[in-house]
Amino acid sequence: MNKRIYIITSLIFCISRLLGQNTASVDELVKQLWKGNDTTKSNALKILVTTVNTNVFPVLSAINDKSLYEYQDKLVTVGPKKPSEEGQKEMYSLVEVYPEGKILTENNQTIYKNTSDLKEIAFSRADRLLIAPLVPYLNLVSPISEKRKLAYTQFQGSTDSMAVPMIQKALKVETDPDILRVGKETIYSVLLNDSKDPKERKLLIDSLFNNWGSNTESILSTYAAAQPEGELKTYATQKAKELENKHTVLGVFQNLFSGISLGSILIMIALGLSVIYGLAGVINMAHGEFLMIGAYTTFVIQNLLPKSSDLFFWVSLPVSFIVSGIFGFIIERTIIRFLYSRPLESLLATWGVSLVLVQLARTIFGDLTAVRTPTALTGAWEIVPHLMLPYNRLFIIGLSLAMILLTYFTLYRTRLGMQIRAVTQNRQMSACLGIQTERIDVITFFLGSGLAGLAGAAMTLIGNVVPDMGQTYIVDSFLVVVSGGVGNMFGSVFSGLSIGFLSKIFESFFEAVYGKVLILVCIIIFLQYRPKGLFPDKGRIGED
Amino acid sequence: MLLEVKDLNVSFGGVKALDLSEFKVADKELRVIIGPNGAGKSTFMDILCGKTMANGGAVSFNQQHILGKREVEIANLGIGRKFQKPSVFSRLTVFDNMLLATKMPKGVFKSMFFRLSGEMTDKIHEVAAKVGLSEHLNKLAGNLSHGQKQWLEIAIVILQEPKLMLIDEPAAGMSDEETYKTGELLLELAQTKSVIVIEHDMNFVKQIAQGMVSVLVRGKLLMEGAFDEVRNDQRVIDSYLGRSNAMLEV
Amino acid sequence: MKKYLTTDNIFYASALLIFLVLMPIGNLLGLVSTNTISLWGRYFCFAVAALGIDLIWGYTGILSMCQAFFFCLGGYSIAMHMLLAVGGQGVYGAKIPDFMIWNQVTSLPAFWEPFHSFGIAMILALLLPALFAGVFGFFVFRSRIKGVYFAIITQALAFGAWLIFLRNETMLGGTNGLTDFKSLLGFQLSEPKVKLGLYMISLVVLIGSYLLCNYLVKSKFGKVLVAILDSESRVSYTSYIVQNYKIAVFVISAVLASIGGILYAPQTGIITPGLMDVKSSIEMVMWVALGGRGSLKGAIVGALLVNYLYSLCTSMFPESWPYILGILFILTVLFFQKGFWGLTELLESKLSKKSVGV
Repeated sequence: MNKRIYIITSLIFCISRLLGQNTASVDELVKQLWKGNDTTKSNALKILVTTVNTNVFPVLSAINDKSLYEYQDKLVTVGPKKPSEEGQKEMYSLVEVYPEGKILTENNQTIYKNTSDLKEIAFSRADRLLIAPLVPYLNLVSPISEKRKLAYTQFQGSTDSMAVPMIQKALKVETDPDILRVGKETIYSVLLNDSKDPKERKLLIDSLFNNWGSNTESILSTYAAAQPEGELKTYATQKAKELENKHTVLGVFQNLFSGISLGSILIMIALGLSVIYGLAGVINMAHGEFLMIGAYTTFVIQNLLPKSSDLFFWVSLPVSFIVSGIFGFIIERTIIRFLYSRPLESLLATWGVSLVLVQLARTIFGDLTAVRTPTALTGAWEIVPHLMLPYNRLFIIGLSLAMILLTYFTLYRTRLGMQIRAVTQNRQMSACLGIQTERIDVITFFLGSGLAGLAGAAMTLIGNVVPDMGQTYIVDSFLVVVSGGVGNMFGSVFSGLSIGFLSKIFESFFEAVYGKVLILVCIIIFLQYRPKGLFPDKGRIGED
Repeated sequence: MLLEVKDLNVSFGGVKALDLSEFKVADKELRVIIGPNGAGKSTFMDILCGKTMANGGAVSFNQQHILGKREVEIANLGIGRKFQKPSVFSRLTVFDNMLLATKMPKGVFKSMFFRLSGEMTDKIHEVAAKVGLSEHLNKLAGNLSHGQKQWLEIAIVILQEPKLMLIDEPAAGMSDEETYKTGELLLELAQTKSVIVIEHDMNFVKQIAQGMVSVLVRGKLLMEGAFDEVRNDQRVIDSYLGRSNAMLEV
Repeated sequence: MKKYLTTDNIFYASALLIFLVLMPIGNLLGLVSTNTISLWGRYFCFAVAALGIDLIWGYTGILSMCQAFFFCLGGYSIAMHMLLAVGGQGVYGAKIPDFMIWNQVTSLPAFWEPFHSFGIAMILALLLPALFAGVFGFFVFRSRIKGVYFAIITQALAFGAWLIFLRNETMLGGTNGLTDFKSLLGFQLSEPKVKLGLYMISLVVLIGSYLLCNYLVKSKFGKVLVAILDSESRVSYTSYIVQNYKIAVFVISAVLASIGGILYAPQTGIITPGLMDVKSSIEMVMWVALGGRGSLKGAIVGALLVNYLYSLCTSMFPESWPYILGILFILTVLFFQKGFWGLTELLESKLSKKSVGV
């Protein structure tokens, strides 16, 4: 954020020099804005507006938003909100608006205040109306990227080429590639609307096409529609069509990505479920709650560690694993071990466990909390224009891949894994061969619950932390386990991805809800042919 | 021939469990199948009663092909099965166990409006007496001893009135006296229907093997013949060698 | 003399005395509040559904986790009828239910039409769940999906149905469900006498359902169900088509649940999708587990007890209910597999042993 403010400040300096303003007198005028009486305030404002000094745009913008305040002899406005906590007043950071914009700090901690603690510098409606002609330009240098984007977009479709130099100046210091593209798009579209020269128009259409902003397609088709029949119309139409096709292709990839993303979440949850069911014949309805425990662990660690750093998230990954694992261990020892090989009873008892855990979380943490996304995982990777792969989703896919590999390695490349597989296949025989089956049970439960906890920590990236968050995916995860073949890791991976993909494909045709229902129908039809899932147990054991 | 098997083969995950080129059982014949563990004896019965699917071959029972048919269809054709591990309804009384098995229409609505006839009661009592369970008719089947469960299961199969009975290790867990009685019962049953018995206990085999004995080894039919002939055959002895030679001793 | 003093007979006598005689008379005399009457009337509806769950889960061992959905099919059917029957009395005075007007719907959706008639609504209320359970059961049981697989599939089914009922465009009232019923067959639902009447009807239906289930359980059909629980394969080898029995018991339990729903909606005055979510179905199973799986009386006692406890707890310490239910759940599954009824039987047998000893 500080970087952003710095850029704006330099922009302001740069523009003011271009306009040849005397900064000293501007200082005076600004001072009058908040130290003077009503008349001097009005006058100062009038002069500031008519001189079009971008240096004071942040001040004007704040006046226009009725959010100009005085705080400790500084002229400030409110900045980003503090991550809210239940039942508290909304707290905002403070941004100095003049002479330079920076977020106010005290002992390296951002200051947060409620607006009622600040002295507002009020202006009359008439005064504010003075700013009106400048309003469209004010937000071009706003510290909030959404506002800047919107400010640019609002010029699109206008034919006023007078706006172009202003936009260009603002764009010079713009660093966000997305907004840069919107800005260029805006300039081209304004010029195109204004242009009369056929050659220039064609060039502008090409520029628009190559720039390919999010509105380009509609700008081009609107433009084409307004043109008389002729070469230009055909050209614009054709270019618009090409962009539409590009969007369709990208849409498929975007869907594919969402499918993988959903699939990875399901796999993360289903892995533990499946291994535990295979080993112990226990359906763990409380498995989703281990996810919830992992998420709350992340939340607690966030509150314990310094707010300014992202360290908490990376610390919480292993800690969530361990905390959920310990919960799993306790529940296995106290309840689940009495229910081995009684899947239906275990389903009911663990549902009781889930009830208690959810209510416990509600009692301790209240209804809704959120975890901050680390800066490294905010934003998206834009492989090609308009194909956004959010970093948090990419992280989840990566984590799920790591979990699959880890589980594979543990199960098939270690001694422990061999013992787990042995107990899964034949408990009595394993015991006879000297495997301590109880030890294996406990370890497997610890690992399985831990994996869910890890998944929970990752889930804080894409949603709120709520007591019943475990239930969101649990039904789907059970379907993954069932259609993959119970107790089979590869089956879970394969069917997790399939269900993820199918959901997203159906969702692109129908409403999400009907997509879900269709998935269910597909699974039932699938189970008609493979009643024991994709990879059923073979051999003669397993009948009643 | 009541039962004819041709080129039957079954494999589990690439391992050949059964590969029978020919096997026949005549009407009212009592056939004993012996063989070392893992020879495919139980698998063979599983195929005959529809529990397991075969990979290829043909099985005809009473001139009808039965491969691919479901358990109920096969049971209706007249094949009854007693399992190695007794499988009875442990939460029902012995009487109810036998009542459910008794031959009658078995649709859902028929069962809802079923009235017990005196004739049927008599029949159940008669069979119960045969297997020595007359005094236990009101006991829960789950509370019976292992040997009694074996008998109850035999009684269940009898009441189904099958043409062919498949009896898997009936003498397991029985005392010598009980074993002898079971043998007598099987011989009596063979008067009216065909019976295939799988057994390890050679004393018991000797008692009941009045006709042919078939030897299965590693899924294949090694030989068929009278009990004495089989017992003295070098190949049979070899196939048991290294496992427990004593099994062939009488 | 002693023979008449069995747990069974004490149960019958006291239950009939309290619910059939004392409570209604108390209400008429003003000693028992209409609220209480209405509350117990609703518990009876739950008990009817619980009987069905006991048949399929307690006796046959099939865990169906979509019974709440069937319950709601019944509830929604009669709710639709009640909304249509009072057409024109809504806030907007329109012929269609109020919530449709909020959704900018002007004419009644075609699938609502049949519910104008009480008779057809009733037939549909019973037929829909039966058909649904029959068709679904046919496909699922045919491919021998059982045990955990069946439980999970039915859970997903309940989840899917819940999602559909939540939608506004399915014209079932969305999240808010159907509410604001005025009258049924001309009787004003707000009147205490009508409430008592519904209570009595619910009780009579409960008794009827109990007798019917009792007959089924004692019949050969019931024995086959228990046999399926014990050894499904043995049932097949004795010539019973297991699939048909499973479908039959699934249909019966679905219809019983639906009957419960039909009686429930007029008594609560509202029916929402919240009543058919995944949790509700498991909770219903829990009534049976707590009361005593495999005993019809246990199922009834369980449904009444848990719901009574629920009302008690939510009024005294609202936060604690999930803890209580969860812990009861765990304890029952771990230690009292025969539930409350099993416990009383255990006590009875201990007592009788003692008296023999004396």
